[in-house]
Amino acid sequence: MSGLKLGRLRSMLGGALHPAVRPLAEQATRGEIGRREFLRTAAFLGVTAASAKAFIGDLGLVGEAAAQGAPKQGGTLRFACSVMEMKDPALVTWAEPSNLYRNSLEFLAEVDADNVTQPYLAEGWKPSDDLKTWTFKLRPGVKWSNGDDFTVEDVEFNFKRWQAPDSKSPNKTSFAMVTKFEKLSDLEFRLTLDRAVLAIPEMLYAYTCPILHRKFDEMGSDWIKNPIGTGPFQMTEYKVSSIAKFKRRDGYWGKPAFLDEIQYIDLGTDIAAHVAALAAGQVDVLYRVTIAEIELVEKLPNVRLLRGKAAQTVVMRMQVDQKPFDDIRVRQAVCLAADNQKMLELAYRNRGVVGENHHVAPFQPEYFKLPPLKRDVAKAKALLAEAGYKDGIDLELVVGNTQGKWEQDASQVLQQALAEAGIRLKLNVMPAAQYWPIWDKVPFGVTFWAHRPLAVMTLDLAYRSGASWNESHFSDKNFDAALDKAMGIVNPRERSQAMEQVEKILQDSCVIVQPFWADKFAAVSAKVNNHRPHPADYFRMDRVWMT
Amino acid sequence: MKRYIAIKLGEMILVMLAVSFIVHVALELNVGDVAAKVLGQFSTAAQRQVWLKENGYLDPFLVRYFRWLGHFIVGDWGQSLRFRTEVISLIGPRLAATGILAAATLLVTVPIALLLGIAAGVREGSLLDRGITVFSVLTTSIPEFASAVFLSAVFVFWLGLLPGASTMTAGFSPAELVLPVMVLSLYTAGYLARMTRSSMIEAMASPYVRTAMMKGASLPRIVFRHALRNALIAPITVIMLQIPWLLSGVIVVEVFFAYKGFGTLLFEAALNSDIYLIEACAMVGVVVVVVTQLISDMLYTWLNPRISFRDVGRREGGA
Repeated sequence: MSGLKLGRLRSMLGGALHPAVRPLAEQATRGEIGRREFLRTAAFLGVTAASAKAFIGDLGLVGEAAAQGAPKQGGTLRFACSVMEMKDPALVTWAEPSNLYRNSLEFLAEVDADNVTQPYLAEGWKPSDDLKTWTFKLRPGVKWSNGDDFTVEDVEFNFKRWQAPDSKSPNKTSFAMVTKFEKLSDLEFRLTLDRAVLAIPEMLYAYTCPILHRKFDEMGSDWIKNPIGTGPFQMTEYKVSSIAKFKRRDGYWGKPAFLDEIQYIDLGTDIAAHVAALAAGQVDVLYRVTIAEIELVEKLPNVRLLRGKAAQTVVMRMQVDQKPFDDIRVRQAVCLAADNQKMLELAYRNRGVVGENHHVAPFQPEYFKLPPLKRDVAKAKALLAEAGYKDGIDLELVVGNTQGKWEQDASQVLQQALAEAGIRLKLNVMPAAQYWPIWDKVPFGVTFWAHRPLAVMTLDLAYRSGASWNESHFSDKNFDAALDKAMGIVNPRERSQAMEQVEKILQDSCVIVQPFWADKFAAVSAKVNNHRPHPADYFRMDRVWMT
Repeated sequence: MKRYIAIKLGEMILVMLAVSFIVHVALELNVGDVAAKVLGQFSTAAQRQVWLKENGYLDPFLVRYFRWLGHFIVGDWGQSLRFRTEVISLIGPRLAATGILAAATLLVTVPIALLLGIAAGVREGSLLDRGITVFSVLTTSIPEFASAVFLSAVFVFWLGLLPGASTMTAGFSPAELVLPVMVLSLYTAGYLARMTRSSMIEAMASPYVRTAMMKGASLPRIVFRHALRNALIAPITVIMLQIPWLLSGVIVVEVFFAYKGFGTLLFEAALNSDIYLIEACAMVGVVVVVVTQLISDMLYTWLNPRISFRDVGRREGGA
């Protein structure tokens, strides 16, 4: 193709570019894929970020506006965030503790606030054409806070630990397909997988995957006692459920952080207290604001509400092997009678994107647009009658409110909508702590699904036959095959086309009512600059500064 | 008296045994939940099983109960699942924090309530009495969660005078104590004032006060020398009953203001099914209730020597 300046693009590992880079660059040149898509896939294919940005800059596709004004050095930032137990970072069960150790511990790759994957402790990587072998090159010159060099030994230690027979880390399941870890040199390693996996770099940014020092277990497997890390800050104080402090450290391999100190202050479970503390100037950043508080936050002086898109959602999922949901007509009736738009409007004040019952978000790279869903109460009634429920049917929906009362609000809107079709829905509302132990056991339940950078990551976990978190027990060979096909395609446009079938099978099988994709909110005092909501709440604080 | 105290302490131990057993039954019916909570909702069944085995959860229920009991008696209160630290080290500071809150609340409440109650009770039916009665009914009938929202709307969001969260992370801060104390005092003061008022009315109508009046004693002398001491028995009971309530029943206020006290500890423990922590909190709760009761019983005898404990233990047998 003439005029295509492929020559600017550089491979992270040196050598030839991945064969998929050329069609990708052509699509970007023709304007068929956006800037983010290009950068994301280029990084994934092992193209250096700098050369990819230069390439996209030549095409005249500019990025988002940079932060206002020149960053200021210094200051202490107080972050309202639950201070949870985190002796072993590979075992934490919530994202909150990871936001503390993310200041000191780093990951091989990073998925940034734009949902684009970037090199981190790994300077680059390159998948084989069949996506079954991944070669990683580590950043040279990285030192641990205790003075040791960061090498491939550290990475090997972590992989072995995650995969050990007695490992209790969720990483054991997520990296079960890694069959071999080979050291190629002090700074290079290769992973061999037993199946093609597209999202290895993204998976390495999961909150349980920080790279720990190779002597972590020898030193007592307690990160609180030995908070050694490669990151820009050093932990100086830690009290569970109270406070944790991190100070900027010298000798960090990257750009030094702007802040002198970050204090994480545990304000308990009541978000009203968090907002009150922000209003009173006791904290500068709130970890999260829910839909219940945003109107109050918007009215506060000297406070900014931050809003971001994220592929986070709730699904009202039906177990396809449980009565009466084993009859697809019942599930179809539920999906036809549900009013996703209304749930978005009433339960989430229209701050999100309506869901399409297939768990792929319009802002995820592989989304394929299907014709819009249409509500049809008459058809729902007819299907129910056909299934033998002429006088309607009684169903029970279990609601755990794991993210807040809006889950229950959405369920109530569903209840009203289903009533029109003769479905009498009973809501069984319980506290989150009671709900989590049974989240995958109830026949009909509301489950919150957190953001994943790629939709196929969620689909692979939640809807593939026999997958570990397949809460709906959905099992369809055609779906699995279609998903496999999509997961083996590197090019985003081709993958998106392959997703048409994946989305359609899931939507037609009526496994979930997926009301909406919920926007993410955070709040900061006006003094805080460059803090951006991250779709998965994985915040990096080294670029944040205060005026 | 000694006998009475011994009986009370014996009762306390029986109650502690019963409570600890009930808590154990309630929490350990489904041990699978415990592993799911510790390892996260996305852990696999095999991983949970290994954890349960390692932590002795697969032993029979009674074995686990008596093992816990044996350890508890010798001061090994177990590890908190949520905090991953010794339970015994968690309780002390939290109890102290709530103690400060309770003491501050009593310091504010008691003088105000007694003053209001006496003022109202001395002249029953006067304008002052009616005003105080309306005020106390109003404050008692507003639950803490409502007054907490209302007071923080005024003092934090509107006037911007007070801090909205009371975590005390930067050390003890009197300003952070103001709102929780205000909420708790509003609630208790009204109740206490009403109790004081009615006992005062009763005392003022008693023969010895009438005699004092007829002898021409001044009103202050009648109130403070004759009526008050007898009128205080009911309010003292209320005050003593407030202490256990202030230690464990202030969960709403502590959680609302993110105050790191005993209430929030119990709340977090319950939310996370943190069994050893809940057990320890329950045991501490029982001790607090029984000890405050003992103290209030002793205060009665000082206030009114006609009350004696020689037969009480035998007659009542309980609280």
